[in-house]
Amino acid sequence: MIVAGCDVGSLTSKAVIMDDGRVLNSVIIKSKARPWESADEVMKAALDGAGIAMNDVKYCVGTGYGRDKMKFINEAITEIACHGRGARWLLPTAMTVIDIGGQDCKAMRLDRDGKVVRFMTNDKCASGTGRFLEVMARVLGIGLADLGEMSARATTPITMASACTVWAQADVIAHLNNRVPIEDIAAGVNNAMASRMAVLANSVGVERDVCMTGGVAKNDGVVSALEKLLGVRIKRIRRSDPQMAGALGAALFAHDRVNGGSR
Amino acid sequence: MRKETREYKFDWMLWTMFDAGAKIKKGFPKEYSHSLNYMPYFRGVIEPMLATGDPGQKFIECCAAYLDNLVHSRDKGFKTAITTFCFSPAILYAMDIVPVCLEILSVMQTLTGKRGTAEHLDYCNEVGYTETSCSSQRGSLGGYLAGNGAEIDMIVTDTPGVCDTNANAFAFAAAYLDKPFFSLDMPPELNGVRSDAYHLGDFRALIAFLEKHTGKKLDIDKLREIMQRIQKQDELVAELEDLARLRPSPMPVTFNFMVHASRFLFAGMPECTVCLESMLAVAKENAAAGRSGLSSGVEKLRSFWCYIDHYTQNLRLWQMLERNNICYQGNILSRSWAANAPHVKEYGTEAAAYELDLSTLDSMILGMALLNSRMPMIKSIRGPYDAKNMWLEDTVNLAKLHGADFIVYNGTPGCRNTWGMVKMFARDTEKAGFPTYIMYADAFDDRVESWEATQERFEEFLTVRGLL
Repeated sequence: MIVAGCDVGSLTSKAVIMDDGRVLNSVIIKSKARPWESADEVMKAALDGAGIAMNDVKYCVGTGYGRDKMKFINEAITEIACHGRGARWLLPTAMTVIDIGGQDCKAMRLDRDGKVVRFMTNDKCASGTGRFLEVMARVLGIGLADLGEMSARATTPITMASACTVWAQADVIAHLNNRVPIEDIAAGVNNAMASRMAVLANSVGVERDVCMTGGVAKNDGVVSALEKLLGVRIKRIRRSDPQMAGALGAALFAHDRVNGGSR
Repeated sequence: MRKETREYKFDWMLWTMFDAGAKIKKGFPKEYSHSLNYMPYFRGVIEPMLATGDPGQKFIECCAAYLDNLVHSRDKGFKTAITTFCFSPAILYAMDIVPVCLEILSVMQTLTGKRGTAEHLDYCNEVGYTETSCSSQRGSLGGYLAGNGAEIDMIVTDTPGVCDTNANAFAFAAAYLDKPFFSLDMPPELNGVRSDAYHLGDFRALIAFLEKHTGKKLDIDKLREIMQRIQKQDELVAELEDLARLRPSPMPVTFNFMVHASRFLFAGMPECTVCLESMLAVAKENAAAGRSGLSSGVEKLRSFWCYIDHYTQNLRLWQMLERNNICYQGNILSRSWAANAPHVKEYGTEAAAYELDLSTLDSMILGMALLNSRMPMIKSIRGPYDAKNMWLEDTVNLAKLHGADFIVYNGTPGCRNTWGMVKMFARDTEKAGFPTYIMYADAFDDRVESWEATQERFEEFLTVRGLL
C-alpha cells in the first residue's frame, strides 16, 4: 500500500513515498515563494523517482508551514506531531527530539509509544534556527556544511550577541575585521545556537535517548556543543537523512490511516 | 547546564578562587605569576585589583571572608537568606544570617568564570523565567535553583513597587525552592511621621520573621556593634566621595566598584572597615600629591553613571575607561544617603538622609529601616509620590558635584523600572548640560550585546559628542 508525506518548510520542502512501511523514495528541494508550488514540485519529483503516479498513492499527509495550501493531500498534521513520529522511526529508542528547522526550532518529549507529550518551540527571532547558521556561514564566506568542521579547530571561541541574528551578524563582521580566526568565530556561532537549543530541550526535560532532526543535525559543531550543555550524548541518525524526519512522520501517519489507525 | 558545572557548587568555586586570590600576592613574585596561571579567567580582574596595592588586597580578602561564611554557613551555625542589593545586610548579620546578595554574586561570577553567568541565566529560563527577567539575579539564582549552591534558609527582599522585575524573581524563587519569604514594603512618601511609622512597623515584622526562622532573639548588643561599624563605614565612604570631587580625582576606577560591594554585601563586617580605610589612605595619598587615580596619571574626562555599570568578564568597562583616561565618578549604587554624605548638605537634601541613632532598640530599628529605604533603587529610581523627579535630580546634582563631563545609563533588558523613563530622563540631563549616553547592553550578559559592540558604540558616542 503506497502512501506519501510532504513537508513544506520555510527553506526546504521534502517528500517521502512509502510502500508498506518501506521508503521507496525521498526528495528535498529548496522551497519556493508559494508553498503549493513547492509541494507540487517536490511531490512530483518524489513520485517520478519512485516510478509511480499520484493516483497510486492511497493516502497522503501534508505537514510544515505550507501544509494547509497543498492541493493533493488527504490530511494536514502539525510539524510537531510529524517530527516526533518521524524521529521515533529513525531512532526507535528516541525519547527526546530536538529539531532545528530553517526558521524555527523545537524540542519534544515522546512517550513510550512515540507520542509527543511535551514540546517547546522558539519564541524569539532566528538565532536558534537554521537561518541563523546560514546567515553566519555566508558572512564568514564558508559553506554551511563547513561550520561544524571548522569549529572543531577553534582555540578561543568568541562570545557573541545571540538574541538577534542581525546583531550577531554585525558581531561576526566586527570579529572578522579584527582578524579573529574564522574557526573561533564558527565555534562561537555554533555555541550560541546550542545554548539557545539547550534552554528549549531542558525546558521539556531531557530523557535518553536524545536525537536531533532537521538540517542542523548534520552540523557536528552544534551537536557536540549541545551535547556538552545537556550532558548527554546525542544519538546520530543513520537510517535516513535527519532533515526528512517531518516528511517521514507524515508518511508514517498516512500509513497508519490506510491501516485503520489514528494518531 | 553542563555536567561539569554541576560538579562543584558555584559559590564554593567562588570562595576557592577569592581565597586563593587573597593569598597569591603574599608569596614571591615568581610564585605570584605562576599562581595566576591557575586562575586564567580571574587574572584579568585580580591583577588590576591587586595593582591598586593594599586596598585591592583587602577587598579580595573581604570577598574571601564573606564567601567563607557563606559556604561554611552550616558549620559556623549561620543561616542564609537570599536578598538583593537594595537591602542593607545589617539586620541579617545581627541575626547570624549570611546575606546571599544575588546581584553581587552574579558580578563575582562574571569576574571569575570562563562563561560568566551564562549557564545560570539559561537555567532560570528553563525553569520559568523569561529572557528579560533581571539578569543580575538570574546570574546566581540559577545556581541556587539548580541546587548547585549553599543551602538557603529564607528569602528576604524589599523591592515590590521599586523594581517589580526584581521582586518577582524573589517571589518565584521562594515558591520554587519552597522557602520562607518576607518582603518589606515601601510607603508612598519618602519622609514624614507616617512614613517613619510605616517603616518601623514593617521592619519590626521583618525582625519577628527572622527570629522565627532562626530560632534566635535579636541581640541588641550585637546589633549595636554592627551598626557602629556601619556608621564608621558610612563616614569612610563620605570621605571618599568628598575626595572624588578633586581635580584630578584621586580615586582609582575600581574603587567605586569596591564601594558598591561593601555597601550591599559587606556592610557591618569588620573586614569591610579595614578595606575602606585602606582605600581612603590611598585616595588621600593621591590627593596630597595631586595625582589622578587613573593608572596613566592623566585625567581627560570625568564620567558619571546614572544607574549601574557593566560587569562582564575581566572588568572590561574599567579597562576601557582607563585606556581613554576617563575617571569614574560613581553611580547611584555608590551613593550613601547617610546624613554625613557630602552631597546631602551640598544640595539640601537633609530631609532625605538617614541617621543612625544607637541609643535604644527602637531608635536602632528606625535607623535600619530608614537606611534600607534609602538604598539605591528604592531611594533614587522608584521615586515616592512626594519626590517624583528624584532620580533626575539626584543624578544631575551628583554629576555637577563630581564635575562630570557626561552621563551614562546602563542596565539590563530587565530594568523596566528605568527603561520606562530613561529617554525622557536623558532628554532632561542633556538639557542640564550633560551629554548623555544610553547603553543597550546587558551589564551581566554579553550575549545580549557583545562587549566589542558595546565598546565601539560607547567610544563612538564620545567621538561624536566631541568629548574625546
